[in-house]
Amino acid sequence: MSSHWPEHLDGIIEEFKDCFDSMERYELLFDYAKNNPNPLPTEEWTEENQILGCQSRAHVICSLDEGGLFLLKAGADAQIVQGLMSITAIAVNGLEPIEVSKLTPAYIEEMGLKAALSPNRANGFLNMFNRVIKEAKILSET
Amino acid sequence: MLDIKAIRADFPILDRVLPNGKNLVYFDNAATSQKPQCVIDAMSNFYENYNSNAHRSNHTLADEASSALENARNQISNFFGAKPENMIYTSGATEAINLVSYGWAKNNLDNGDVIVITEMEHHADIVPWQELSKEKGVEVRYVPINNETFMLDMEAFEIALDGAALVCVTHTSNVLGIRNPIEEIIKMSKGKNCKVLIDCAQGAPHEKINFETLGADFLAISAHKMAGPTGIGCLLTSNERIQEMGPFMTGGSMIKKVTTDGSTFKDGHEMFETGTPRIAEAIGWGAAVGWLEQFNMVDIHNHVHEIAAYAGKEMIKIPGIKIFGDPSNEDSSGAVSFLHETIQSQDLALLLDQGGYAVRTGHHCAQPLMDALGVPSTNRASFWIYNTQEEVEGFITHLKYICERFA
Repeated sequence: MSSHWPEHLDGIIEEFKDCFDSMERYELLFDYAKNNPNPLPTEEWTEENQILGCQSRAHVICSLDEGGLFLLKAGADAQIVQGLMSITAIAVNGLEPIEVSKLTPAYIEEMGLKAALSPNRANGFLNMFNRVIKEAKILSET
Repeated sequence: MLDIKAIRADFPILDRVLPNGKNLVYFDNAATSQKPQCVIDAMSNFYENYNSNAHRSNHTLADEASSALENARNQISNFFGAKPENMIYTSGATEAINLVSYGWAKNNLDNGDVIVITEMEHHADIVPWQELSKEKGVEVRYVPINNETFMLDMEAFEIALDGAALVCVTHTSNVLGIRNPIEEIIKMSKGKNCKVLIDCAQGAPHEKINFETLGADFLAISAHKMAGPTGIGCLLTSNERIQEMGPFMTGGSMIKKVTTDGSTFKDGHEMFETGTPRIAEAIGWGAAVGWLEQFNMVDIHNHVHEIAAYAGKEMIKIPGIKIFGDPSNEDSSGAVSFLHETIQSQDLALLLDQGGYAVRTGHHCAQPLMDALGVPSTNRASFWIYNTQEEVEGFITHLKYICERFA
């Protein structure tokens, strides 16, 4: 992992940087939302895995795969949040939990999606991201 | 006839260019209005030239601050047709309603008494009554809305009034923009010997509210939706009701005498204004009222109604857009709630923001109304005095573009 984000995100970041404007970036993000590599199907959305405080519905399950590496599954009804979580899943899945626990959302800003990192209490993505980091820390200590 | 160009010149923020280079188009006025330069100047002038605590010290600045605070009270209460001695400064409409709950209802209602509210209320006019119900055993009755017209079911209202002691209803829905038949509600309620509280947070920016003419017992008002600063509002009440109230918060300024054996309290509004007053905010609100007084509020309503009706008419033509309520209704306050059938509301708001359009998204602190509408949230464009038809035209174009590209 580079100092800011896993190197395998560089291609995705470049893809977003190449977008003509913010609307094109969000269109690309909608594509990532539709192609989430580790989706959390709505039938698995429960109160336990719900991220509270978001104005959209958002759910996260963090676990370890068979090899003891981090596995994030996420689902949200807002496509922008879902897209950001898809990219986050690409970023963190397969890493050691300790590595995930040190991740910052700097890659989102680098992609030109700084608005997604607003400290607004209703912000779905930031609440989800913080939950992932918290759970990665717990998993790294088990 | 309003000179919108001149009005817009009073609001420096309307020239704001957003980080993405887009010009701000502010359609979130039901959340809070923007502030004219005279309000900003009045508050700055206080801090620059006569900042002092009010009603305490005996020096020039303290006298100037006290006078400004009370002059603002006179100006604001006069604007609303109420007596200054019956105007209690609060942090806003929410605190004003809580003041009625804790200061009046707690002392005057008891187990078995009935409070009538509606499904259309803001949480500020629901939760205090639910809490009072838990504490005192009062019954809270909810008047439903008609699922087709989204208006209050007035037949159900009349039935709910049977045996009621207090009626609490919003003047204008913050979600639907619907202006309720307040005069009829007050008349019906008074006919059944009910006390009446009207939440005027959304109504005050759109029409001239007059306490004496309306004949309600309590009006709750927020400054920040009517060109004033955040953090201040008031409860307007009558000679009779204020005498029936007890203190909600206690401390300095509201006492006659404090000894180790106990305390006695001042009378009237002073009993309810403990602690350092919101002096700059009151001065700012006074300036806002002074600014509004140059207009006929009917002209403001007509301008906003024209824009909202146009927005509603054009929005409904966009495939996938559904509007809740009827912006073309003559009494509409200019709030247009809408949803797209496939683009989630938070996504839609963020995409609108990319075009510079600021709208509200969420449950609007009205979850029972959302339940009645059968949706978890809506997008809401809300207009005010400085908005223009050209802004709405740009909004429609951007909304169409989003719907075509992202649906």
